[in-house]
Amino acid sequence: MRWILILAALASACVHANPLAYDLQPRQIADGVWLFEGSTDNFSQANGGNIVNTGFIVTDKGVVVIDSGPSRRYGEVMRQAIARVTDKPLLKVMLTHHHPDHVLGNQAFSDVPIAALPGTTALLVEQGDTMAENMYRLVGDWMRGTEVLLPTESLEPGMLEVGGRTLQLLALSGHTGADLAILDVQSGVLFAGDLVFYQRALTTPGTPSLATWLADLDQLQHLPWKQIVPGHGPLASDAAPFAQMRDYLGWLDGVMRSGAEQGAEMNELIRTAIPERFAGVNLSRYELIRSVSHLYPRYEQAAMQRVDR
Amino acid sequence: MELDWRSFLLLALFAVPWDSWGSQRDPVTSVMWDYYHERLLGGEAFVFDERVKLSAPPFAEDARQVPIQIDASAFDGQVVRMLAWAELNPIPQIFDFQPGEQVLPRLAIRIRVEQATPLRVAVLTRDGLWHVGSTQIDAAGGGCTAPSVVRAQAGWEEHLGEVLGKRFVLADANRLRVQVAHPMDNGLVGGIPEFFLNQAQLRDRSGNTLASLELFPAVSENPTISLDVKGNVETELWLRDNNGNEFKAEL
Ligand SMILES: [Zn+2]
Repeated sequence: MRWILILAALASACVHANPLAYDLQPRQIADGVWLFEGSTDNFSQANGGNIVNTGFIVTDKGVVVIDSGPSRRYGEVMRQAIARVTDKPLLKVMLTHHHPDHVLGNQAFSDVPIAALPGTTALLVEQGDTMAENMYRLVGDWMRGTEVLLPTESLEPGMLEVGGRTLQLLALSGHTGADLAILDVQSGVLFAGDLVFYQRALTTPGTPSLATWLADLDQLQHLPWKQIVPGHGPLASDAAPFAQMRDYLGWLDGVMRSGAEQGAEMNELIRTAIPERFAGVNLSRYELIRSVSHLYPRYEQAAMQRVDR
Repeated sequence: MELDWRSFLLLALFAVPWDSWGSQRDPVTSVMWDYYHERLLGGEAFVFDERVKLSAPPFAEDARQVPIQIDASAFDGQVVRMLAWAELNPIPQIFDFQPGEQVLPRLAIRIRVEQATPLRVAVLTRDGLWHVGSTQIDAAGGGCTAPSVVRAQAGWEEHLGEVLGKRFVLADANRLRVQVAHPMDNGLVGGIPEFFLNQAQLRDRSGNTLASLELFPAVSENPTISLDVKGNVETELWLRDNNGNEFKAEL
């Protein structure tokens, strides 16, 4: 009996000896381009919010970091991992959009210019604290010490020369209203931010409309990309993420449109069968429940008329 | 030969008399049931009854607009009243609905929830028994104390009482869906006193009442309500708020 207790004590000692450590392994995906790939799960106490893809580009003069992750601690581990790859200085952090899993690591880069679209900064001012609070609720202690740190520079769409490398910046809006996509022209790596989810259901809390999102995808797909880094999900070197996104957005739109035409209630729509072809898309039921809440009111209103007398 | 667990399940099923769908066993975890049983149902006879279907999402994505849907069609023709409430809300009561003979005992509406809570609908049948449907919703919270979205829009007063609506043909009924422009102030936010729609009636074109609905300020801003009527009788929806404003819509 006693040895069981000792074992249990040892086991718990091990757990406490290594608390809440992010395991961030940078993976080189092209010349000078590195990726930190997160899981396709939901936020949890187990993963510390490491459900997101972040990355960095090593130029001749220094490093451009793309997104800072879900917490201060993540940003710190990310910065250490970058320093193991290169001793060049950090030139800039670029944020793809204002969602907490992409920007709450900013504090680890407080001595580096942090750049974002003006719309992203505005949304972060408006929603940042609430989103950070929500992250504390979802992942707990991993967030300790994390606060919103606002961008210090604003980005404009177009070609940006950084350290001898050309980045094509696109100011789009389908996911949140202010979404930056970054094409590294030399390598053809497209950091699509959350305009592209792959094998993970897309999220819709701030989308202007699904039609806007579909139009953004057209723009992205026409770029001379060779690889796509989705905001969430595995790296791809073919158009499969675009095909899946279009298919999924079209399905969501159809579910809500036909629901509104037939007078369906939200509680009926959230039980809609998920098509077999999306079986590999993680969290589709969960995100359908959320998307119905975000989007169905617009479809309902479009299907109704003034009837007051 | 041993019985496997499925056989035990079958045995257990047959051990229960066929007519007792209801039971005294609460399907949700609640510390408040006794309190509400006394306060809202006057301590009268009740059963927890799975034939009263109360649907809600497993979690509140927007705690200010949580859709709930009630279906007591199993008791069509016997329903006197339907009361709904959210147990852990500062304002628990949602509605008191009296469907007449031409209206099905079904209703959908959106509500505010302040925190994770059991939801209840109690359906009184003509024999004097309350049949209680239950479910549980998870919520990060704050739906009842969040600032008004309606009041943040300039000129909202001019739209007060506007009704968007439509009639839909379902397999067994016509569904009337409406959304009424109203802030539904619950008195909990920013010193703004209660100002909410508290009465509604569905009438036929001769003015006869088809169904009555009392509303409470747990109902969301710009209330979205669905009623299912039998057949295609033309209807008028009459609404009144606690300040005495009256509104009408034709469907
Ligand atoms: Zn996002």
